[in-house]
Amino acid sequence: MVVLRAGLCPGLTEDMIQLLRAKGIRTVVDFVSSDLEDVAQKCSLSYKALVAVRRVLLAQFSAFPANGADLYEELKSSTAILPTGSPSLDQLLDSGLYTGEVTELMGASGSGKTQVCLGIAASVSLGLKQHILFLDSSGGFTASRLYQILQAQTEDEEEQAALQRVQVERVFNIYEVLGALQELRDRLSQQVVSSVGPLKVVLLDSVSAVIYPLLGGRQSEGLALMMQLSRELKTLAREFSLAVVVTNQVTRDSSSGPLKPALGRSWSFVPSTRVLLESREGTWQKPSTQRAASLAKSPRQPTGIQVELDIG
Amino acid sequence: MQREVGTLPLAPALRARLAAAGFQTAQELLDTGPCGLSKEIGISREEALEALQVVRQECQGDTARTPGGSGATRKCTALELLEEEQSQGFIITFCSALDNILGGGVQLTKITEICGAPGVGKTQLCMQLAVDVQIPECFGGVAGEAVFIDTEGSFMVDRVVDIAAACVQHCHLIAEAQQEEDHGEALETFSLENILSHIYYFRCRDYTELLAQVYLLPEFLSEHSKVRLVVIDGIAFPFRHDFEDLALRTRLLNGLAQQLIIIANDHRAAVVLTNQMTTRIGQSQSTLVPALGESWGHAATVRLIFHWDNSQRLATLYKSPSQKEATIAYEITSHGFRDVQPPAVPPSTGGTELNPRKRPRTEGEKQ
Repeated sequence: MVVLRAGLCPGLTEDMIQLLRAKGIRTVVDFVSSDLEDVAQKCSLSYKALVAVRRVLLAQFSAFPANGADLYEELKSSTAILPTGSPSLDQLLDSGLYTGEVTELMGASGSGKTQVCLGIAASVSLGLKQHILFLDSSGGFTASRLYQILQAQTEDEEEQAALQRVQVERVFNIYEVLGALQELRDRLSQQVVSSVGPLKVVLLDSVSAVIYPLLGGRQSEGLALMMQLSRELKTLAREFSLAVVVTNQVTRDSSSGPLKPALGRSWSFVPSTRVLLESREGTWQKPSTQRAASLAKSPRQPTGIQVELDIG
Repeated sequence: MQREVGTLPLAPALRARLAAAGFQTAQELLDTGPCGLSKEIGISREEALEALQVVRQECQGDTARTPGGSGATRKCTALELLEEEQSQGFIITFCSALDNILGGGVQLTKITEICGAPGVGKTQLCMQLAVDVQIPECFGGVAGEAVFIDTEGSFMVDRVVDIAAACVQHCHLIAEAQQEEDHGEALETFSLENILSHIYYFRCRDYTELLAQVYLLPEFLSEHSKVRLVVIDGIAFPFRHDFEDLALRTRLLNGLAQQLIIIANDHRAAVVLTNQMTTRIGQSQSTLVPALGESWGHAATVRLIFHWDNSQRLATLYKSPSQKEATIAYEITSHGFRDVQPPAVPPSTGGTELNPRKRPRTEGEKQ
């Protein structure tokens, strides 16, 4: 719904806009869908000028269909599959995290979501030497634990360099998250290769912590912001070939109902892959480091596959 | 400046009007100016000016997001964070087993939640921590002050006096054994009156007061910049009784959790919460689980569950970002929260008739 403004394209002057507005044509859609001969007569404007303006507006604002074969070639050359650092999880995700897609990890409190995210950060920064952006909204990022994981994976002194490739940003409400993503987009589109080298992964831990306070009640604001966030994440993943990983909580319907992912139905369409993490034991009296990961949604594998993970 | 209008923190009615008028990015808003804006969407000039100020602040915050400023780095590399964490102190609990499983003690900038059945020692640990946070740095503490928000009315000043006296005596013993100069100076300021005067006590009677107190806390903390510990004793109590709308409760609790995380991060303080336990009735058995529901479980970064095993008190580390799950035993003595001492006297034979969950009343049974 872009409003017609002077300077939107050459030939569209302020007088023209005033005349058009007097006849009820305010936005680009109104202009392009109206009968130009009719408009030329009523507003006493030149038909040729109107046709020229329409051509420019269509070129600027319409989406062009793409050839499937071209899309496939482009996908083959730009998609990368990133190992998560845990072979069983890679097997679950069909050999790793795909760039250009949003992957979601869900689980109850203490089920290991932050640990898996730290494992991904360690594996990508150490093994692939790529940069990572970690957006921490729950306060769970502990650099000493990341250091511990890195030390366990390598013998050389590369941990310091690997740690420098992990950018951590603390964002505690939805507007800060959106601001951080916007800033990332500006940086990537300007291709400033200064401190942020080749960025491959964006981790958001956790998305429900920032959206939960907005949902529910009579305000539908929360849903709108959630969809804005999902759009940002998906377009970032697609345009800049990033792998986006988000973590989500689980809730229950009633005090004894089954666990279900938080944020409801609308969010369930956003990630392309969803993995559920569960503890082995049902109670907290016998602690262990084993977790079970099962595939809840995937575009490539059948759902219901379960593997064992060790987050120790 | 291509920030979409929908992502700016403006009032919903204003946002709806802007969308209807066809504004898409923040840059367009800034270009139009307040007069044009008030004409286009039909609001007064003052409102337009306010809205533009918000937009400008938000966009400036995006481009000029540099680290530093008030000691709270929001954006940095993991290496810098590691250095910061390694130089940060812990608040010790005087129970070395608990400190070990926590990785050194209660961590600053994180939210720690203590869940347990009634009478197991949650408030005791909170009072112990309120004293321990004030231990001077030369004795291994963080030399900070404490804020104690009480919702259940379980804060007993005479008990804090006992705990503080024991702590001061402990430090005196260390100073005598080690004989260093700064110990003497530190001990002069570390006296009973000083300790008590640096615990700021707030009493909240219902959830509205609690929420108001937490939202006003940042102002208080910027005036008292030495506060390193915020204790909320009984976060479950005001939210559990008399609350009909459960969806509202979840929303309020989540907002509260985010506010507490912001306080913990910006002011480098540790936040300690105590929670109650509730029964979950399963297929064939019932288990005790922390109260306030599943979504509250994600609010705390570190979760400790205190429980009984016959007459022994145990603490389990259930959730932590950097430590493994483990269970240890602890004791509450007249000096406060301590490790389990090996029993010097065999337990009396009359002990089996007493209820193991009740605190021993006679002096002979207290160790």
